[in-house]
Amino acid sequence: MTTRWIATGLSHDLPNGAVMAGQWQATELAVWRSATGKLAAWKDRCPHRGMRLSHGFVRGETLSCIYHGWVYGTDGGCKHIPAHPALTPPAAICAEGFACVEANGVLWLAPVGMAEDPPRLVDLRPVRTLSLTCDLATILGVEPALGGSDIIRGSVRIGGQDEEICLLVQPRPNGITFHALCSARADVVQVSRWLEALRRSAEEKVAA
Amino acid sequence: MIRLHDYVLSASCYKVRLMAALLGVRLDLEAVDFHPGRAHKSLAFRQLNPAGTLPVMVVDDLVLTESTAMLVYLARLAGPEWLGPGTPQASAQVQQWLAFSGRLAASLGLARLHDMLLYTGDIEALRRDGHLALRELESALTECRFAGHDWLVGTAPTIADIACFPNVALSQDGGVTLDPYPAIRLWSRRVRSLDRFVEMPGIHRLHELRPAPAEA
Ligand SMILES: N[C@H](CCC(=O)N[C@@H](CS)C(=O)NCC(=O)O)C(=O)O
Ligand code: FES
Repeated sequence: MTTRWIATGLSHDLPNGAVMAGQWQATELAVWRSATGKLAAWKDRCPHRGMRLSHGFVRGETLSCIYHGWVYGTDGGCKHIPAHPALTPPAAICAEGFACVEANGVLWLAPVGMAEDPPRLVDLRPVRTLSLTCDLATILGVEPALGGSDIIRGSVRIGGQDEEICLLVQPRPNGITFHALCSARADVVQVSRWLEALRRSAEEKVAA
Repeated sequence: MIRLHDYVLSASCYKVRLMAALLGVRLDLEAVDFHPGRAHKSLAFRQLNPAGTLPVMVVDDLVLTESTAMLVYLARLAGPEWLGPGTPQASAQVQQWLAFSGRLAASLGLARLHDMLLYTGDIEALRRDGHLALRELESALTECRFAGHDWLVGTAPTIADIACFPNVALSQDGGVTLDPYPAIRLWSRRVRSLDRFVEMPGIHRLHELRPAPAEA
């Protein structure tokens, strides 16, 4: 796989002061937003003993590991070690950073140093994130109007109208997750129910 | 005086303790040795609740053995706004979520008892049913978001939210991750930041609302 931007979530699902698990290809990441809204994404391994940072919590401009409370700033550097309160942690203790940017209400991840910007998605609005236990080929099989590889697009009939649908695909170990967007004028409730129907048909096809 | 026969690690008991705390109602807690003592299966306890389950609430000669009924009792007593807006539609929706919380207990709840207290059961089937229930909850909460609402019924928290919250928040204990459910995670944050929220082992108040530990 080439180095590229991969969508890991929708902006509205990561409010200020929250952390979530994300993925870039097979790499597990912790993606979080500070109290003032600064985004950061790191490998989901605490430099202390490798526990998941996405299980941690945000306080102000820092993320704390839930396990032994090491505190990291938005730059990834360790700021505080509760077991050694007087110590200024050495600069070498640092979470391994990824690039995380937000565009069109989508959170995108890539290794640091990507030259180009994430894909531009014009005239689309975010709907919701859904996880499926089947693969992409099955989805494309049940809905021939959709096509693509990591950005699936197509015009489909929803509630008597032709609506533009865009699915940003995030492969997962036992299936895929997609972050769905639709035309700005579409009825999001109808689109959301249509997406559930698509998931049901695709998963049933695998079970059959 | 409201007496609650209680076990600290039980999701169903926590449901009632949480509701009472949010309402500011004092409970007289009677700890039952659920594990390893299995005191809820003793002859004496089954005289009180023949089903041999926890929690049990006793108020004078009223004996309640269903946690959802206890939520109704507490809300009616101390905070009727927690019963929802009271329209036919809203009252029915609240009832539907109370029943749904039983499905959460029968899937996520049993998966947790399987993993923590070595209950027998088909763990893969319990987890799969748990995910199916979580998908329904995720879809409902997503539609709430589209409508600009934060809670399951109406515009304020109700007993419906409190009934469903514990087994969802503890799902990881049964090997069911909430990673695929962003709307559920946001709803859980809202519950955990309610005024007078109380914790149980495995469920914490939103950390950023807790005081930072004192610097040594
Ligand atoms: N009546 C149900 C029972 C709740 C329930 O299943 N409680 C568990 C502990 S969390 C229990 O007592 N299990 C023992 C058993 O089922 O034998 C309620 O109040 O919601
Ligand atoms: S593993 Fe993170 S603080 Fe110990």
